[in-house]
This record gives sequence, C-alpha cells and structure tokens, in this order.
Amino acid sequence: MEPDVSIETSCMIRIAVLPIGTVPPSLLREYWSMLLRHQTIPLSAISSFYTEHQKSPFAHQPWDSGSLRLKFVLGGSPPSPWEDFQSNRKILAVIGVCHCPSSPDLDSVIDLFNSACKAYSSSLVNSCFAFCPGDSQLEDGGKKGGNLRLFPPADLQTQEFHLQTMMQDIAASLLMEFEKWVLKAESAGTILKTPLDSQATLSSEEVIKAKKRRLARAQKTIGDYCLLAGSPVDANAHYSTALELARLTGDYFWYAGALEGGVCALLIDRMGLNDPGLEDGVRYQYNSAILHYRKSFIQDNAQRVSPLSFELEATLKLARFLCRRELAREVVDLLTNAADGAKSLIDASDRLILFIEIARLYGTLGYQRKAAFFSRQVAQLYLQQENRVAAISAMQVLAMTTKAYRVQSRASISENTLPDKQVGSSHADGGKVHHQSVVSLFESQWSTLQMVVLREILISAVRAGDPLAAWSAASRLLRSYYPLITPAGQNGLASALSNSADRLPSGTRCADPALPFIRLYSFPLHPSQIDIVKRNLAREDWWAGSAPSGPFIYTPFSKGESNNSSKHELIWVVGEPVQVLVELANPCGFDLRVDSIYLSVHSENFDAFPVSVNLPPNSSKVITLSGIPTLVGPVTIPGCIVHCFGVITEHLFRDVDNLLLGATQGLVLSDPFRCCGSAKLRNVFVPNISVVPPLPLLVSHVVGGDGAIILYEGEIRDVWISLANAGTVPVEQAHISLSGKNQDSVISVAYETLKASLPLNPGAEVTIPVTLKAWQLAFVDSDAATGKSALGSMVRQPRDGNSPTLLIHYAGPLSNSGDPPTSGSVVPPGRRLVVPLHICVLQGLSFVKARLLSMEIPAHVGEDLPKPVGVDDIYNEGAIGSEGKMERLVKIDPFRGSWGLRFLELELSNPTDVVFDISVSVQLENSSNEDTLSADQGSAEYGYPKSRIDRDCSARVLIPLEHFKLPILDDSFFMKDIQADGPASGRNSSFSEKNNKAELNASIKNLISKIKVRWNSGRNSSGELNIKDAIQAALQTSVMDVLLPDPLTFGFRLVRSSLDPAKLDSPKESVLSSAFKGSVLAHDMTPMEVLVRNNTKDMIKMRLSITCRDVAGENCIEGAKATVLWAGVLSGITMEIPPLQESKHSFSLYFLVPGEYTVVAAALIDDANDILRARARTDSPDEPIFCCGPPYNVRVIGTA
Amino acid sequence: MATTACFIIVSRNDIPIYEAEVGSATKREDAAQLHQFILHAALDIVQDLAWTTSAMFLKAIDRFNDLVVSVYVTAGHTRFMLLHDSRNDDGIKSFFQEVHELYIKILLNPLYLPGSRITSSHFDTKVRGLARKYL
Repeated sequence: MEPDVSIETSCMIRIAVLPIGTVPPSLLREYWSMLLRHQTIPLSAISSFYTEHQKSPFAHQPWDSGSLRLKFVLGGSPPSPWEDFQSNRKILAVIGVCHCPSSPDLDSVIDLFNSACKAYSSSLVNSCFAFCPGDSQLEDGGKKGGNLRLFPPADLQTQEFHLQTMMQDIAASLLMEFEKWVLKAESAGTILKTPLDSQATLSSEEVIKAKKRRLARAQKTIGDYCLLAGSPVDANAHYSTALELARLTGDYFWYAGALEGGVCALLIDRMGLNDPGLEDGVRYQYNSAILHYRKSFIQDNAQRVSPLSFELEATLKLARFLCRRELAREVVDLLTNAADGAKSLIDASDRLILFIEIARLYGTLGYQRKAAFFSRQVAQLYLQQENRVAAISAMQVLAMTTKAYRVQSRASISENTLPDKQVGSSHADGGKVHHQSVVSLFESQWSTLQMVVLREILISAVRAGDPLAAWSAASRLLRSYYPLITPAGQNGLASALSNSADRLPSGTRCADPALPFIRLYSFPLHPSQIDIVKRNLAREDWWAGSAPSGPFIYTPFSKGESNNSSKHELIWVVGEPVQVLVELANPCGFDLRVDSIYLSVHSENFDAFPVSVNLPPNSSKVITLSGIPTLVGPVTIPGCIVHCFGVITEHLFRDVDNLLLGATQGLVLSDPFRCCGSAKLRNVFVPNISVVPPLPLLVSHVVGGDGAIILYEGEIRDVWISLANAGTVPVEQAHISLSGKNQDSVISVAYETLKASLPLNPGAEVTIPVTLKAWQLAFVDSDAATGKSALGSMVRQPRDGNSPTLLIHYAGPLSNSGDPPTSGSVVPPGRRLVVPLHICVLQGLSFVKARLLSMEIPAHVGEDLPKPVGVDDIYNEGAIGSEGKMERLVKIDPFRGSWGLRFLELELSNPTDVVFDISVSVQLENSSNEDTLSADQGSAEYGYPKSRIDRDCSARVLIPLEHFKLPILDDSFFMKDIQADGPASGRNSSFSEKNNKAELNASIKNLISKIKVRWNSGRNSSGELNIKDAIQAALQTSVMDVLLPDPLTFGFRLVRSSLDPAKLDSPKESVLSSAFKGSVLAHDMTPMEVLVRNNTKDMIKMRLSITCRDVAGENCIEGAKATVLWAGVLSGITMEIPPLQESKHSFSLYFLVPGEYTVVAAALIDDANDILRARARTDSPDEPIFCCGPPYNVRVIGTA
Repeated sequence: MATTACFIIVSRNDIPIYEAEVGSATKREDAAQLHQFILHAALDIVQDLAWTTSAMFLKAIDRFNDLVVSVYVTAGHTRFMLLHDSRNDDGIKSFFQEVHELYIKILLNPLYLPGSRITSSHFDTKVRGLARKYL
C-alpha cells in the first residue's frame, strides 16, 4: 500500500529526486520546495519543447487545457512489484540535485548520478540539476553536456524561471517517451505480470488463457500511459477496451484496475465541470472496482500475496473522494470496512499506512476522537518496531492525539483554549460558578484512556531519546492521575522524571508542571509593625478613620465608601520585603524535594527569593515565599516557579483552584490537599496588589531587651523605647497614641523627645522614655477566675492583650521630589507602628490588714517647750536634727511626749521570692494657715527608715497619724457634722447629710492620699502600694480623733532661766543641763508655767486646775502626805482665752523628794458651744465639758 | 451472555460517569483499555447520528474488529454505550431501556449533581444484574 492515495494518483508521473553528493539539508529543502512548485505542467507550456517524431498515439490530447501531473519522490523508492499493474507506480524520471560548492568535481557528480540512476530501470528521463556552480565549473560543465544541467548563480526569480524551463523540457521529453512506449506496446506483445499471477510453470491451458488476458492488460496499461500523458479521452477509450477484454477472460483484478483508471480519466476529463451525476458515477464505479478486487482474491496464494491492499486502497480513494461532512455516514462505513481489512493485511507496514490513512480521513471529516483512536493504533504499530526512529514517529503521532484525549501538553495549548482560562479567572472573581461551567472544565475526563496515552507517550519518548517529552508526559501523568497510580508506579514515574532530567541541560523549562500542588494560602497583611495608613490631608490627625478602630470587623460608624475600595487592595512598598503564604501538597508516596520555589511575577517589578522545601510522602506544608518589589506599579502573582525533578516549571494557582473546585463537585478524582490531611478548601481572596514608592519605616525595640517587662504590682519603672528609621525616606511627621487595655499603666510618654527628633532621617534613631506603672493583678485574676477557668494560664497573660500598646503614626514627606507631576496628586500614605508593651505583672507585696493603734507617752516638762501642741513637730525636729536621712527614726521628743498619738499599722506580706524594702512617706499639706511652722512644712514629706520584708514573710509598718491634726477646731467643718448628727436638724438633714458625708470622705481621702507606701526590691524595681481602700476602711471609725485637734491644748514649762541665769554658766549646771535637760532639782523652788491654747475660733471660758502625781499615781499636792509644796494657784483658775490664742498661768512647785512626777492640767469649760460638745461627744447640753491635757513628766533630781 | 461487553454511561459533557465491564470473559486490563478507547472514538459517530433519528436506541453504530458499539441516547443527551461481541439487538434494547429507568431514578436523587459520576452501588448491582439477564 502507498500512503496519501487518491483517485487522481493514477495520472501522476512519479519522479525520483535524489541528492547527489553532499547537499546541506536546509538547501535540499529549499531546492525541494522549488521543485514542488512545478507539480503541474500545462501541455500548452511544453509544446515548444515537444517534437512529434511519429504520429502521436494520444489523438485526443487536450493541448489547450490539459496538463501533466508530476509527483516528486524525495530520495526515490524501491521498485514496486505492482509496477506493471499500475504504471503510475513506476519511477519514470530521475532528477538529481547537486550543490556545486560542496561537490566541486563535476565528473564525480556525473558518475554518482549515473550510478544512482541505474537503480531506476523504469526511468525514461534522467537529469541532474547542479545549483550554484562556480565560474570554473560553469566553463567545465558547459563542455560536459549530457544529463548535467547547471543553474548559474542568479536571483531567485531567474533561477525559478530557469528551473521552470528545465521542468518543461523534462515534461516534454517524458511525453515523447510515453508516445514511444505506447506505440511499441501496441505493436509488440508486452508481457505484463503481477505477483498475483501464478509463479509456477504455466500449464498449456493457462498459457492460452494468459495470452488472451495479455491483450486486456496491454490495453489497460496503454490507458494508464494515456492518463499520465494527460489525455483522459484516449485513456478512457483504452480502458473501455480493456474492461471488455478483461471481463471476457475473467481477469477481475485487471478489470478492477481498468475501472479505477476509468474513474480517474472521467474525473480528469470532467474537471472543473459541475456535474451532479459525476459523484454517483464515481461511487458506483468504485464500489464495483472494490467488489472486483475482492473477487480477485485467490485462496491458494493468499499467504504470499493478496489483492486486499488494492481493495483497501480503492476504499480509501473513494472515502477521500467523498470525504465531506454531509456524507460522513458513508465515509464512516467505508473507513470501518477498511479498518476491518487491517487484520487480513500481511505486511505490517501496509497496516501502518492503512491506519494512518484512516486516521487522516477521520481527521478531515472532523471526527477527532476517531482520528485519535486510529492514530494510537498507528503509534502502537510503530512501538512494536522497537527502534528509535519508529519510537520518534510514535511519539509524534501520539502527540497529535493528546488534544482529542485532552492530555495535551501546556506548551501546545497556547491561546486557543482561552475559554478555559476565562472560566478559571471568573471563578476567582466571583467565587461561585454555575455548576455546568464547572463540569465543562473537566470535560472528557476519560482517566483510563488519558493514563494509557500518557504512558505510551512516556514510553515512546524514552525510547526515542527525547528527555523533555518524557519529562512532560511523566509529569502530566503523575500530576493528574496520582490517585490511580500505585505507590510503586508513582516511584517509577518519579525516577523517570529524574532520569529524564539527567539528560536535560540544567535550567530547562517545561510547560507542564509536575508536583507539588501549590495553592495560595494567604496574603499576610502587613505585620502591625509596618502597617500602611492612608493619609487624610484635610485633617491634622491624618490617620483618623483609615485604620480599623476597635475590635469589630464591621463598624456601623465607619463610612462605607472608603472601606469597600481599600479592602481589596494590598499595598507593597518598593524595597521592603513582602511575604506570601502558599500551601504545597505532595500526595504521592515518595519524598519530594523541591529544589527551589519562588513566586512567579510577570510584571517584572518583583524580585522573588527562592526557597527549597522537602515534602515527605502524603504531606502538605504551608511555606512563606518572600520577595522585594522593585518598581512602582501593579503586581499580579499568577503562580510559582518551581524547580523540581531537575526542570523548571510554572505552577499556576488557577489550575489548582479549578482542580479543587472540581474535587468539591465530585468531578475530579481526588483533592490533593485533602488527602494530605490539609484543611478544607478555603476561599482565598486575592487582593489587588500595588507597589508604592518607598516610605519611611520605623523599627522599634525596647532598650534592654524586647522580652516582656516584668513588673510587680504597683511597680513604677521607666522603659526606653528606641525607634530607628530603617527606610530610605525621612520621617517627617509622627504622633504617639495609646491603645489597648490598661492604658492607665502608662504614666508618661516623652512625646516631645520624638517631636524634637523630627525629621528622623534614614538610619537615625531616637530613644523615647516611657514610664510604666504596673496595674493590680487582682482584677485580672478575678477576670480569669470567672471568665476563662483554668485555661487562662499565667504564661499567656501578657499575650492576652492586657498590655497597652503604643501606636505611632508617622509619615514621610508629602511628595517625593523625584516623582513625575502626574502622581503628585496622590499623597504617599503614612504608616502606623504598633509597639506593644509586653508588661507582665507579677504579684508583689500583698496587703493583709490595716488597723489603727494609739500610743501615749507623757512629755517631759522642759524649759523650751511652749510649742503649740496642735501642730506639733516632733518628727521635724528629729528629722532635721539627724545627720543622714537614711537614719530617720520616729523620734519622740521626751519633752513633747505623745499624747493621743495614733499609728496606722499596715500588715504586709511578701509572697514572692524577692526581698522588698518598704518605706513610708507622709506628705504634709502646705496648709494655708498662719502657722509659724509653714516654712518647715514646705519640705512637705516625712520619710521613715525602710523596713525590709523577706520572702515569704509578713511585716507590719507603722505610720504615725498625728501629723494630720488640723490646726484649728473649725466649725466650718464641724457644724455640718453636728447638724447631721443632731436630732434637731431633721428638716434638711437628707440633703446636708449627703453633703457632709461627701466632705468627710473628701477629707479622709485627702488624708489617705498623703500616705504613700513605697517599696523597692532589688536594684531597679520600685513602686507604690495601692492601699488606699484599706486605710480608708481602717480610718473610717476614728477619723475624727485623728483629724481633729482637741479644743484646748495644754503645755508646761520651767521658767528657770529667768530666775537664775547665772547658773547656766557654771560648768556643773551645763553638764547637768546637758545630761538632765529639763530635770528639776529637789528642795528647790521650781517656777513653772502652764500654757493653755484655744484651738477654736470662739472665746473659751474655763476653770483650770493642775495636779501633780508621783510615780505611784498618788496625788502628792493635796492630802496628808504631800511631798510637793506649791506657790500660786493650782485649782479653780478661771481663764478666758480668746480664739486661737494662748494664756499662761504661772506657779511654782517645791519637790521634797526626788523622783518622777507627773503634772497634769485639766480644764472645765463653761458655756461650751456645740462644736465643743460635738468634739467631746456629749449629748446633754448641760453637762460641763471636761478637757484634760496630756500628762507631763517632771524628773526631780536630788541635790546630794 | 456475551463473552465481552463493556457498558459505559457518558454524560452530555462527554465525561464517563459510569463504567462497567459486564462480559463473562476473564478481565484483562489492556482489553478494558481498548474497550474504552473504542467507545470513546464512537462518540464522534453518535454525536452526528443522534440527530438523524427520533429513536433513542441507535442500534449498532460502530465496530472495531469484532467488537460492536450499540448506543442509546436519552433525552438529556446522556449516552449509554455498550461494546459487545454478540448480535442480540432485542436483548440490548431491553437492557438499555431498563438501565434508562435506573438512571432516571439516580437523576431524581436531589443529592446527585447531573453530570457527575454515579457512585451508587445499588445502581451498579442492578446494572450488572440486567446485563446478566439480557446480554
């Protein structure tokens, strides 16, 4: 069988084209294409070369309209045994093609050509075309003559004209040769045989039969030559004769051949005419020819030779003639019948040709799947041949089937499958697609077939030695059908991939991605450190409204318009690294090593950083791919570039998205991520990414480590936050604000420091001190206890968001100087730096309880103690008198004593494992009264020595409360209290009562706020205990005693100096006075004074009396055994003291016995007003108010 | 019963949604593949032929070697394709009609997405039973 046959094949003159000498392939192709232009040579054109030697046997040759048809066979072909039967199978001419520069010796060319021609005995005309001869060759060749035709170098047109002339010459020679042959054949008996004819010696009967047949065969052959000579009418006449004769002799094979020739003659004759009957005629005659070919089948030599190939060829010729969409049914029938014949064909190459032709015809008909089916049969036949060339052919044929089986390489799908892409993108946009369009994505998922085809492509590519094709097929097979392949098979494919890659140069790219599957996981928004904030130029606080405020995703208060557009956009900054998370899946049973993977960006403004990943079998992994935007503009990331199995491929996210979509619909075999144990398909939103020019970038760190700041409750500490500009643009605006919980704990932030450092140039750094005060843990604990149960562990607490954060909004210059004016209208955005203050509050000192204690120490009577008792200054004295402040102690001056002194006792425990030092300080108010001590009070604070509380210990701290006595017993404070308490004031009590309480509370608060309990621990932890509530509770009951002074204060003093000033000079006295300061000598008259001070704003009338007791408490002034004599009045002294004044009363005592005595003054107040009464807590208005002063000690020293 | 028979349902999108080798011959993998290749190729002929007749049963429309393809096209253009080596038109027709009823039941399932793979084991059992009965 021959490929590419049609009805017209019968009228084509076959010419072998042989390269002579060495002809470069590209030139040979060029010469070949030049020759191909001369396949049809009109008879009219050759008439000038034609000379009629005898009367032409072609009587009806159409010299005006007819033509000779040439068929060039490059490289020639071996002679066919069927040459006699169909003359068009003969090689009737040989054309040699020689490229002169590569074969300089023309003689050897001629020799080569002549020897080549010897193989073609049937050739009638031989001619060797020598192209591009040199000058010497031209000269030389001119003499040679013969078959050599030289084509002098010239332009293309001239050369083509030259060639045309040569071809016309050859055609004319052929025509003349045909005439000769026909004339000879008609006269002399030519023996025409086919392989069908019996090879055995003929019996006599058969000899007679053969003689009869010979005539018919001769007529048929003459008809063939007439056809070749372009004279269909003559041919038809001879064929008719041949038909008659063949029918008579029963030579069915030749009869069928004549029928075929007749149809061809008919077609050539009617060419150009629109004859509706022609098709029917052709169909009828060809069917008849097919029938007769079948009839000619002879059983006895069926093993050796069979006319079947001619029957099939005739079928194919008819099918090709009819091959139109309208006649599809008929063509299919013909082709099905032809395919049936394949089994009976003896020669494998005949079968190959048959299937190729069937496939081509189906393809012409538009039956792609049928064509693919037969193409695959062809490929299988090629693969059976087990050689490389056949494998290459198989691979190429299979590659043609991939479209029908929908396994084509991505390289072959370029633009023609646009709809697929559109579906993919619309899915990405809309998120939801109609399921029909989803289904269409997976059209023709004939997985079995697809796998078989891909496997065959892989096998043929391996055999053909095409590593790239093998790689591509293996990758398609592995990627699409891994669920259907056993782990062993998967391993085999993996090794096929690596083996192919070994033969490929490194850096080879392939259009078909292999593993892993890659999907977009997420586009991380900017970490809070480098958040980008739109700048609103209209406002001073330009960041307002652009950042999400509060914990809600949707805020009803935010304006919709701005939100909608900004949400879909991601802004990247030139020069700042960005990250994209992708998820990789390896659903196969082998370890997958991805040599490098990086983002694929087609917009050329992004530098991606490759990473390498190892994926264990059946695993998925989320990895971070990063890169740096390099130019301003939009960025789209369609996928990743992967270097895996030695080849570089691009993996598109869209493909995997479609795949996953199909998996959810049950249309695809398996979801690669699901089978790797990854989470369900998430709808990843792909934002529009745009790259903006460089912005400033602040980087913060806490000086001394970025770890959590560990503070004990109430601790106050300064933290330094260092801000550095890591960008390339200076920071020109910056603003710090606070957010988050526990904002109170940030006591101060040095805003000015930051402001002062602006503009912060790239690389510059500024350190901002922030003062923190730890909050109370109790609230957190209770929160955790009620809300979060056991889960809220202590470790997580700092992360839970209890810590405040500093928000620093900053921005660069308004417009970059380098910018073109068009973008000048766009304000570069600002940024927000979030500096979380990771504060970890530890439990510190804990307060156990507070109570009020009172202590009474009698004072000594001395010379110089007339100081007003109400505003005493014992501590002051002690404090200033002592050298070092560290040595402060609560010193009570013995002359002053401490009567009615109250202590607030705080019991503190230390549950921690560090040591705390407690110091209590009391702040004295700079009261506005006219008191003489106001200058001293300016120092304002009293410090006490530190008390140390060891770990796991508790300790008590005493705070003297006498400082708080008000200097004046003032009715402005007190009246209301009385009204509130008094039963008479019921009318407006409810109002004033509240008022009173408020004032009382205010004064208590005032008192409490003066007390500060500070602690420090270690080198740098210090803080303040928050015990206000506790103190308040302790003080609530006895606040009045603490706050209010007595109405009268009493004081004693010796008036010795005025009596005996000389004594002071004596050394003994001075020693005495220094040793026993304020002591009194026995047996001496001691003048004393009692001072009474009125602390109220009213005149007080009273009766004063003074008593003196000894150590035993006996009254030693009165009575029988009085040991003290006196001068002056000691009892019933009536005095009137004006408000806020003091009065003196002098008297003298004479002590008989040395020892300790106590002097007490007491007064009975007459006509006491309400204030005094209230102070004394008496109810009855008539009762006299008794006011007793504190006792004073008098030490009496013996003289002896 | 036929020695070789391969039944396949092809959705209107040309996706095979059900496949069954129902022949009594011992199953060979390459044979099963060839069956599918033949059926796949026959789709080209069905696609033209389905519009030339009002009948659902298109009879034998294609063959390769001694294997014949019979096709039944439902109103929704779902194609039941049977590859067989026996000539039993009546049996095949009955087989197709009964399978059509089963297929309609599958379609009535609200959870079944038309055009997706038929995974019902009940359907599979029934089809194989019908194949034993008619082919």
